[in-house]
Amino acid sequence: MDVSLESALNERDAGAEQTGLIAGRPLEDWNAAYAKVESYFHALRVRNKVLLGRLVIHVLKRAMRRAPQELHRSVAELAAEEMDQVVTDWFAQVLQESPAGADRMLSTRGRLALLLADMPGKWQDQFLRPGPWPDEFVKAMRDAYLRAGPDFQLSKMAPRPLDLGPIATLTQLSQWSYGKMVFIWIAFALVLVAIFVLTHHPFDWDWRHFPF
Amino acid sequence: MSSIIADASKPAGEPTPTLAIHPDRPTRRAIRLFIFFSSAMLLTGLVSMFFADLLWRSGWTNSSTILLVLFVILFLFISVGSMNGIYGFILRTFGDSDQITRLGEYQSKSIEAISTAIVFPIYNEEVARVFEGLRATYLSLERTGQLERFDFFILSDSRDADKWVEEERRWCELVRELDALGRIYYRRRIFNEGKKSGNVRDFLSAWGRRYRYFIVFDADSVMRGETVVDLVKLMEAHPHVGLVQTVPALANAESLFGRIQQFANRLYAPVFIAGLNYWAQGFGNYWGHNAIIRTDPFMQYCDLPSLPGRKPFGGQILSHDFVEAALLLKENWQVWFAYELEGSYEECPQDIIENARRDHRWCQGNLQHGMVLFARGLRGISRIHLLLGIFGYLASPLWLLFLITFNWTLWYRQHTGLSVITVRAFTPFLKLSGTEHAFLIFMICMGALFLPKVLALLDLGRDGPRRRAFGGLRRATLSALAETVFSALHAPLQMLWHSKFVVTILRGTGVSWGPQKRIADGIAWSEALRRHWGHTLVGFIWGTLVWRIDHPTFWWFVPVVAGMVLSVPLSVLTSRTSLGGRARSLGWFLTPEETSPPSELDTLRVRMALLERTGAAASGPRDAGITEAVLDPYVNAIHISLLREKQLNPEYVQALAGLGVGRPEVRELAERMLGKGPEAISAQEKILVLSDADVMSWLHRQAWIRSSETLAAWWQSAIRQYAR
Repeated sequence: MDVSLESALNERDAGAEQTGLIAGRPLEDWNAAYAKVESYFHALRVRNKVLLGRLVIHVLKRAMRRAPQELHRSVAELAAEEMDQVVTDWFAQVLQESPAGADRMLSTRGRLALLLADMPGKWQDQFLRPGPWPDEFVKAMRDAYLRAGPDFQLSKMAPRPLDLGPIATLTQLSQWSYGKMVFIWIAFALVLVAIFVLTHHPFDWDWRHFPF
Repeated sequence: MSSIIADASKPAGEPTPTLAIHPDRPTRRAIRLFIFFSSAMLLTGLVSMFFADLLWRSGWTNSSTILLVLFVILFLFISVGSMNGIYGFILRTFGDSDQITRLGEYQSKSIEAISTAIVFPIYNEEVARVFEGLRATYLSLERTGQLERFDFFILSDSRDADKWVEEERRWCELVRELDALGRIYYRRRIFNEGKKSGNVRDFLSAWGRRYRYFIVFDADSVMRGETVVDLVKLMEAHPHVGLVQTVPALANAESLFGRIQQFANRLYAPVFIAGLNYWAQGFGNYWGHNAIIRTDPFMQYCDLPSLPGRKPFGGQILSHDFVEAALLLKENWQVWFAYELEGSYEECPQDIIENARRDHRWCQGNLQHGMVLFARGLRGISRIHLLLGIFGYLASPLWLLFLITFNWTLWYRQHTGLSVITVRAFTPFLKLSGTEHAFLIFMICMGALFLPKVLALLDLGRDGPRRRAFGGLRRATLSALAETVFSALHAPLQMLWHSKFVVTILRGTGVSWGPQKRIADGIAWSEALRRHWGHTLVGFIWGTLVWRIDHPTFWWFVPVVAGMVLSVPLSVLTSRTSLGGRARSLGWFLTPEETSPPSELDTLRVRMALLERTGAAASGPRDAGITEAVLDPYVNAIHISLLREKQLNPEYVQALAGLGVGRPEVRELAERMLGKGPEAISAQEKILVLSDADVMSWLHRQAWIRSSETLAAWWQSAIRQYAR
């Protein structure tokens, strides 16, 4: 990985560079591009400052080569595109997939592999480095696969009809398994009512005293 | 087994071979049931006669008839509770061999070739807590050496985009930390029809065939590894059992309210459940979680039908658990309570308002059981379970009606100037005045209500280790007294709340809860005032009216109106974690899990404390999830991978297409989101964008390579966050 800015700057006529410009663009724009690329590598949990600096410079160098030709595009945009390209190309190499025509699956798979192989914890120094890589790292990257569930064994549950008819059930109370018990309890209640009625002279009730 | 599963996939109506196995000793169980409920009927009958006599003595009116009918119904349910306590106490004192853990030797059973799924159906939960609960159970199970027999499934039904992304992120973190890839799985449904029961059904449709049993956890459940293994062994030892329900101990409460509930649960539940098990035996119930289920019969018989008619009674069955147990029993599968198995935990609401919110949900589900109460073919005992569940909530409006009718009678007498001249009836034998007669009935009611609590304390007193785990008998007794005072104040509030729930549910209207305003230590005073001003007003008006009608009667009503009048401070103060902590340091409301915490709860507590200290427990601000799913290279990759895996299931593919995934409109929504920020699209549109793997991949790239000027300030700011 070429991390020297000199090589990029020297490709152009350094003498023709105006003060306050790099690759024909204001320093402030490169600052913004730097910040954006750095943010992305931060998001990938590349925490080592030396590695981080090297990776950012590597990407910016590629952007600097394009900057003089693509004046209608912002430096940050070019840097972001290069960053995307660098990362995708590297994924293709590590995972042995072709970057040409690859859809976004490769990027997704690569990022997932970085996470599951624990690049931020164990392999920061290997990230974006050209091969060969340690076998363990390569194996971890290529074997990384996120399984959210075991293989499906599809089947279909079907609700069984439930006859809710209360009247039908009530009319068949005698067939109810607890019918006898209920009958005894009702009989007991009726006996109590009968005792109460007989002992409290119901025919002496004065209905005129009812409040409503 | 395979033939049975094939049957589960047949459409309804096709003949299926039966799995049914007849339960043991039906006659003996029927006798138990008869004896138990006859005891309750006998007590109710005698006390009701005594009450009717009192009404007669003071002059019978139509109001008396209403009062008597209400009294009989209400006292019957008090009697059932009381009998549960009495029978439970007797059984615990003299031994109870008729429980599933003692029916036969099960510990030696091998679970070598048995696969069991542990499922966590979740819906917009506190994500960190769910995953830490899972971690605690996982680690505990690992220590048993039987981990490889179990797979864990987080079955998400979350509709909140941020929760969805957070769940995926935390799942991946957990899997990596525990090295549990291929052991802990995550699945989010595209639509959440059928709610929790539909969620479990979806799991069974996709993976049910792989597992002989599945254990259902709640979002806040934790179980000890040995308990999980024991459950599987129990099922292996009893092939005719379809479901074993553990009795979860409430744990981890910190507020005063939570600790009171937790204490009551731990002290009283063993006696009550022993009583419940006496009459239920193999015809128990399912409480929706912390239970193991035999997959085959469940798949074959427990797919719930949609009920005819409109809400609140029609439509999907909300409280599915009772009905699922009833359907298993209907097909001759046994359902047991394994109340001797320790190591099953859940959490409880931490304040009165949260408790009422949960009750509202349960109330709706339980009332709906009225529709299936008379369903043909259900066992009588299932109808009893359903009826008890319904009356758990219906009792409140009946109590309210009883009290109002009593006040009406009182007012009418005062208004008409009729004097209460008691006549002789039964009481000559007892030589009681009218007041003494009324007081005796009151005391009988109180006795029936509080006897189980006294028995629970006696039960505690004869068990040394358990007594010490509660901090000693003296502390437990004082705590039980304080709990009783609190319950007395809380009960009128529940009466008003439940009555409101029942009325609004029956009318088909809802109760709006909205977000709860909490401060660090509990409920804010303003929030309590907003929720309880009605209760306070009712208490004042009611108390004033009773005072004006009859001074002596007012004092009888003090417990009822005091809870209402004091509802605001009661709600605020009992929600305080500082007061909960203070009570704990004084030895009040101690539970065994507090005096010697099991390692699972310790793990959970330590991890949650750590996460809270580092700020990692909290969910991010609004749209933090979708932002993370777009910008974070890893979260985006996880999210897309999970979406792509769904393509393997034709049902999910169909559901995604039904949602609108793949249409050009989704890309337009994504474009709008990039240009104007996540707030530019609705919550439903965010879900749609998040559901489209290609769009999410595109979004990630675009958000990082586009120039800042074309991105909304939201994204620019979020990208800058990564630089720090």
